[in-house]
Amino acid sequence: MTRKKRPARKGKRSRAPRDSSMRRVGVGLLLFVLGLGAGLLGPWVWWLDREAGLRFADRQLSQSSRVYARPLELHDGLGLASSDLVVELEAAGLRRGDARRVGHYSRDGNRFDIHLPGFRFADGDQPPERVQLDLSGDRVRLTRSNGSALVRVPPAEIGSLMPLDDRDRTVVALADFPPLLVTGVQAVEDRQFRHHHGLDPRGMLRAAWINLRHGRVSQGGSTITQQLVKNLFLTPDRSFVRKFNEAVMALSLERRFSKGEILEAYLNEVYLGQDGAHAIHGFGRASEFYFGVPVQSLDAAQIALLVGMARGASWYHPVRNPERAKARRNQVLGMFLETGLIDQVVHDRSVATGLGVSAASVRRSSRHAAFIDLVRRQLRADYRDRDLRGTGLRIFTTLSPSAQQQAERALRVGLGRVEREAGELQGAIVLAEPATGELRALVGDRHSGRAGFNRALDARRSVGSVIKPFLYLLALADPQRFTLVTPLEDEPLSVPIPGHEPWQPRNHDGTSQGTVPLMEALAMSYNQATVRLGLEIGVAPLLRLMEQLGVVPGTDPHPSVFLGAVSLTPMQVTQLYQPLAAEGYSTTLKAIGEVVDANGRSIGRYPMRLRPIRDREALSLLDFGLRHAITDGTGRSLSGMIANDPGIRGKTGTTNDRRDAWFVGYTRDWLGVVWVGRDDHAPAGIGGASSALPVWAELFAALPMRDYSPGWPEGVEWYWIDWPAPLLARESCAGAVAIPFVAGSQPTELSPCMDEGSRRRPFWRR
Amino acid sequence: MDKRPREGMSRYWQTVSVLALGALLGACAAQPPAPVEDRSVAEEVRAPAAEQASGLQVYPLRNPAVTELADAAGAAENAGDLDRATILLERALRIEPRDPELLQYMAEVQLEKGVWDQAENYASRSFDVGPRVGELCQRNWRTIALARERQGRDDAARRARERLAQCQVEAPERF
Repeated sequence: MTRKKRPARKGKRSRAPRDSSMRRVGVGLLLFVLGLGAGLLGPWVWWLDREAGLRFADRQLSQSSRVYARPLELHDGLGLASSDLVVELEAAGLRRGDARRVGHYSRDGNRFDIHLPGFRFADGDQPPERVQLDLSGDRVRLTRSNGSALVRVPPAEIGSLMPLDDRDRTVVALADFPPLLVTGVQAVEDRQFRHHHGLDPRGMLRAAWINLRHGRVSQGGSTITQQLVKNLFLTPDRSFVRKFNEAVMALSLERRFSKGEILEAYLNEVYLGQDGAHAIHGFGRASEFYFGVPVQSLDAAQIALLVGMARGASWYHPVRNPERAKARRNQVLGMFLETGLIDQVVHDRSVATGLGVSAASVRRSSRHAAFIDLVRRQLRADYRDRDLRGTGLRIFTTLSPSAQQQAERALRVGLGRVEREAGELQGAIVLAEPATGELRALVGDRHSGRAGFNRALDARRSVGSVIKPFLYLLALADPQRFTLVTPLEDEPLSVPIPGHEPWQPRNHDGTSQGTVPLMEALAMSYNQATVRLGLEIGVAPLLRLMEQLGVVPGTDPHPSVFLGAVSLTPMQVTQLYQPLAAEGYSTTLKAIGEVVDANGRSIGRYPMRLRPIRDREALSLLDFGLRHAITDGTGRSLSGMIANDPGIRGKTGTTNDRRDAWFVGYTRDWLGVVWVGRDDHAPAGIGGASSALPVWAELFAALPMRDYSPGWPEGVEWYWIDWPAPLLARESCAGAVAIPFVAGSQPTELSPCMDEGSRRRPFWRR
Repeated sequence: MDKRPREGMSRYWQTVSVLALGALLGACAAQPPAPVEDRSVAEEVRAPAAEQASGLQVYPLRNPAVTELADAAGAAENAGDLDRATILLERALRIEPRDPELLQYMAEVQLEKGVWDQAENYASRSFDVGPRVGELCQRNWRTIALARERQGRDDAARRARERLAQCQVEAPERF
């Protein structure tokens, strides 16, 4: 922006008359005062003029950086409950109503008619679009769309990183505002805008006359330029000095900048209400905030409401003062009609519509505190704080609003059901999509609105038996020594610890099981068998494996690590289990997909990267064992809580004195980690199966799930086993169980059952 | 700790293992069949995979949404916009994370972009969940071989070429 030359001082000195000495002194004094005034006024005007120009040109159109959830991709066959779709639509700012209007949807049973607003996605624009779909059987069937097999719901805005001045804006170029808004603002606020030079003397006289008649200040008479000055630079008090400053600065702006620049600044600057602690400035943001749609999608009634609010955003607030707001809106619509901006038909229709603003839209800011916390941390690792704030970045995250809501509900409801006294327990949930590592939900507190200690990220707690699968994975990776049927001794043992008392691990119920197959020891979480196995594997390899999977345990190599005497956060546990749930392909858990700058350019992408872990055969055997833990092991109570088990794998975890309870479970679509415990680490009488598993089940019963049938790596073969003996059998043998083996590691001995059969009868009769 | 009993191979097992090999070979070519009685023992101890072996899974009609995204990725690829192709394939993989065709397509785009490790890993994932035989299998191993060559891992690349040759063979019968 170019700046014109500074104006010359406006000092003018009057000529003094010469009369009597007394009068001379008096006049001299007066002149002195006037001269002093003029002398001071000159610099003051000069300074105001200069300030106005500088500050307008340098004003940072700081925009908060917006954080978005993942967009919901609607396509045929997608599992989706109606209630979840409603959550997604409302989170995305759509309102229930007449679907002919952009940003609204209507619902008839399972049938939805949705008028999606347009959205600028990182990979291209999607124009406003009307979609109809059917959700019978909780499956999406698109019945009408734009000829495409999939449609994205614009992502919900889940938070923002505010600029330092705490003014919330979405800057819009003048050409991108709807014409009715641009002309409408002038019709209502300043009809002479095109012609005046910053001040409108006729308007001021008219306002003064009206104010005089009413005996109070009811009419402003300020031009748009004056209002802009007031919004940009001045305090809202009503004094003569401020009026004077405002007038000088308005003249100054008009002299330096074009009408278009001034109008654009006004439209982006005018104060239009509060979002909690943040002030909403400009029509771009106000449109998103009150109606959930970009400003381009506003209809005449909505434009009239916002234009009317410019006069007094809290006086005409559509939620707090709906009657007054509606009267003002209709008054504005009348002005639109009077000036020919809209015709009678539009006017009458608009006057008849409701305000279309819901209270829900006005309470969005503090949701998703835990997830936003994680987003901030991941961003801070890659960007400087001042690049994040105020630069209008758009941050596309992986959050699923519906899954998040289900997770918050599950923790609240689940804890209420399992705790001994109300409010005793706390908990955390991490929910991810295994294949991509994308985090879909994060709960760090049972009170979902509360921001503060984020247990999902910061509560480092003993993991207990949740660690065991990794020890068993190491064992199974050595198929010549260990298979799922390798017998382990579950008997009391004493482990010498240098410099300490010997360590004597006990089982949870205090009894020992004798000889058990390896898979049984895992599924039933027997401690003594596990420690024996661990002593053959070693602590160091276990800690090394955890590091390879992206978690630094930071623990002394004490054998109690085999039983989970290592403190991890729920997030770290999720990272450990991700490759298990993703069939051996590890990827870093992520909350952010892409960061786009204010001009729509991608400045950071977090692509899906796969890293195969070795021993995928061993992993598939472990996976089989974790399925066994759900069907026949410590997680078997799950079957009573999940109606249609799609093939859940999982592991419980309980720590000493029942201080911490864990459950980790996964399906093809989801990996969920639940931790439950007390913030003060006191014994809480809780256990993985009794406290954490019900919370997990509460969540997973509400998630859409597809059947889970993992593939088997090339080198895995299946044999009938005379369970629990490590002997080959045939299907007809009583109690024979089909077990997978790394090829060549299956037992060599045949079960006696097999032996008898083949001896006694010729093959054609078998 | 006690381990799997490992006293010398039992008489039965010797027959079983020899004949299991025979049975496998028999699936590949017209080998003379093993004596029926013993072969049945070998077959009997084998169990079907508890859940469908994905290697021979028959893929149902592809989700049209995935097809649309894959086609768009193809258009982007033809236009030379590999980044956009990647984004579109990621979207498709979010819908069908285990679609072997998609995974292989992603591997090939990564190959074009010169991201060798990801090309190899996506191809390997595609092989894991794919048919492990025929045309897709060949594309899997060709990609893996190429990616390994570019990384200077010649031995590993040679092994991939050997595996590539086996893709033409019929998949071994799963019980």
